Amino acid sequence: MQNRGGIILSNTETVPGKRIVEFYGVVTGNTVRAKHLGRDIMAGLKNIVGGELVGYTELLQESRNEATDRMVEQARSMGANAVVNVRFATSSIAQGAAELFAYGTGVRVE
Amino acid sequence: MRYVPRSPREGINVSDEHPLKEAAVLVVGLSFLFAIVMLSLVFIVDLVVVAVSPETEARIFSGWTPGGIVELVDDDSRQRAVAGVLQRIETGWPDSPYDFRLLVADDDEPNALAVPGGVIVVTTGLLDKVGSENELAFVLAHELGHFRNRDHLRGIGRGVALAIFYAAISGGSGGADIGIAVADLTLRQFSRDQEAAADRFGLELVQAEYGHVADSWRFFERLRDTEAQPGIMAAYLSTHPDTGDRIEDIRRYARDSGWSTVGRTTPLDW
Amino acid sequence: MGLETIQLVNFLLPLGLLVFAYLLGAWIERRHYRDILAREAGLRSFPVVTFETLPDNWQVESVELVSGSVVISLDYFKRVIAGLRALVGGRVKTYEPLLDRARREAVLRMVEHAQANGYDAIANVRLETSRLANSRGDGNGTAGIEMLAFGTALSLSRR
Repeated sequence: MQNRGGIILSNTETVPGKRIVEFYGVVTGNTVRAKHLGRDIMAGLKNIVGGELVGYTELLQESRNEATDRMVEQARSMGANAVVNVRFATSSIAQGAAELFAYGTGVRVE
Repeated sequence: MRYVPRSPREGINVSDEHPLKEAAVLVVGLSFLFAIVMLSLVFIVDLVVVAVSPETEARIFSGWTPGGIVELVDDDSRQRAVAGVLQRIETGWPDSPYDFRLLVADDDEPNALAVPGGVIVVTTGLLDKVGSENELAFVLAHELGHFRNRDHLRGIGRGVALAIFYAAISGGSGGADIGIAVADLTLRQFSRDQEAAADRFGLELVQAEYGHVADSWRFFERLRDTEAQPGIMAAYLSTHPDTGDRIEDIRRYARDSGWSTVGRTTPLDW
Repeated sequence: MGLETIQLVNFLLPLGLLVFAYLLGAWIERRHYRDILAREAGLRSFPVVTFETLPDNWQVESVELVSGSVVISLDYFKRVIAGLRALVGGRVKTYEPLLDRARREAVLRMVEHAQANGYDAIANVRLETSRLANSRGDGNGTAGIEMLAFGTALSLSRR
C-alpha cells in the first residue's frame, strides 16, 4: 500500500481498513524507454563478470515510477482516490527499448 | 459499492511532442555528435601515424604485398619501364625513407595505389590509358606525395577507426545509417585535402625531373573526357576532387610556381 | 553517370520511404484514435475492473473467460526515430501512442465480444504485452507486438 499525492495504491482487492464505495474502471500508465549506448557498453562489460547492472536497475525503476505516475494521473482525472489491484508489466518492444506498464482499477474508498 | 462510468482524461499515456520535432532534434543532434566522434578519431589516427616512423613501417610491412587486395600480375612487359620512370622521379625526393617497389595489378579501371611498406600499385587499365611518360610520371609522383604525407597509413588507420565506429553504433537501425553517412562525408573531406596535397608534391617532382610540367594533367583530362559529368551531390560525395576542379588546381599551382606548362614530352614505346 | 545515379537513389529511396511512412502512419493513427474514442464512449456504461470483489447487490448468473487481442507493427518512420533514440537513451515517444492504441483496441475487442454475448461486466482483467521477434537475420528485429486483454465476463440477473 502506497500513497501518491493523495491517491492510495494497493495490489490487493481492496484497500485494507477501507471500504470501496464507487468504482470507475481500468486506469493505465505506460512509458517506453531506451537505454543509451554508454549504458549498453557498460552492461556488456558487466556481463563478463556478472553482478547488478546498477544503471539498468535505476533506469527501469525510474521508468516504472513514471508509468505509475501516469496511471495515478488517470485515476485523479476520473475523480478516484485509490487504485486497487495494481499490476506491473515490463516488456521488450524493440531491441534496446522496453515498455513499463502499470494498471489497476480506479475507485473511491472511505 | 457501485459502478460510476467515468473515463480518464485523454492523452496521459502519450507525449504531446510532435514526432517530426523529435526526429529533427535527433537527426541534427546525432549528426553533430557523430561528426565530433569522427573528427576525434581522425585526430587520434593522425597522432598514431606520426608516431610510426617510416623505418618501423618498413619493418612491419617488409615482404608484404597487397596480393590479397588486388590481383597482381608479374608478367606485364611494361612493369620494368614504369619502374624505371618511378626510379627517375624518385630522385627529386632524395631524403625519402622508403625503398619503393612497383607492382602491376590486373584491373581495367585506371587506378594507382600507395600501399604501406613503400609499394606503388598501378592497374593495367591505367597503363593502357596513359599517353606519354610525362602523364605516367605525374601519376607516380602523386602516389609518392601520398607516401610523403603518410596518407597510406592514415587510410588504413581511418578504416580501422571507421570499423570500430560502425560496430559501436550498429545497435540502432536508424542511427547506424546517419552515422555511416556522417562518417563518410567527414572522411571524404579529409581525403580530398590529401589528394590536393599529393598533387602539389607530385607536380614538384615532375618539374624537378623534366624541367617542365607539360602533360601532367593530361591524364586527368583523358579521364574527364570518358567519365560523365557528375552532379553536385556526387561531387560532394566523391573522395577525389571533381576532375575539372582538380585540373584547374594543378594548373594554377604550376602557374603560381612559375613552371613551364609546355615542353618536350617523352612518348611511351610499348 | 551510373555510380552517381546509384548514390542518389540510395539516398532518396529511404528518405521517400520515410516521408511516405510518416504521412500514412500519422493518418492511420488519427483515424484509429477517432474510432477508439467513439467506441469507448459507446461502451462507457460497461464496467471493466481489475479486481474480483463485486458489489453486494450484483447477482451473477453465468461467467465466461473472454479475451481480446491485437498484433500491431511498428512503422518505418517510428522505427527509424526509435533507432536514433536508442543511441542516446530516454523516452521513446514515437512508440507510446502505438502501444496506447493497441492496448485500447485489445480491451475494446474484449468488451465488444462480452457485450455481444450478453454479458454485463468484466472482472479481474489482465493486460499482457509480448514482442514477436522476426525470423530474419539473428531474430533481433521486431515483427510485431501483441497486446492481449483477458478477464472474466459476468452476466448479472440483478444490479
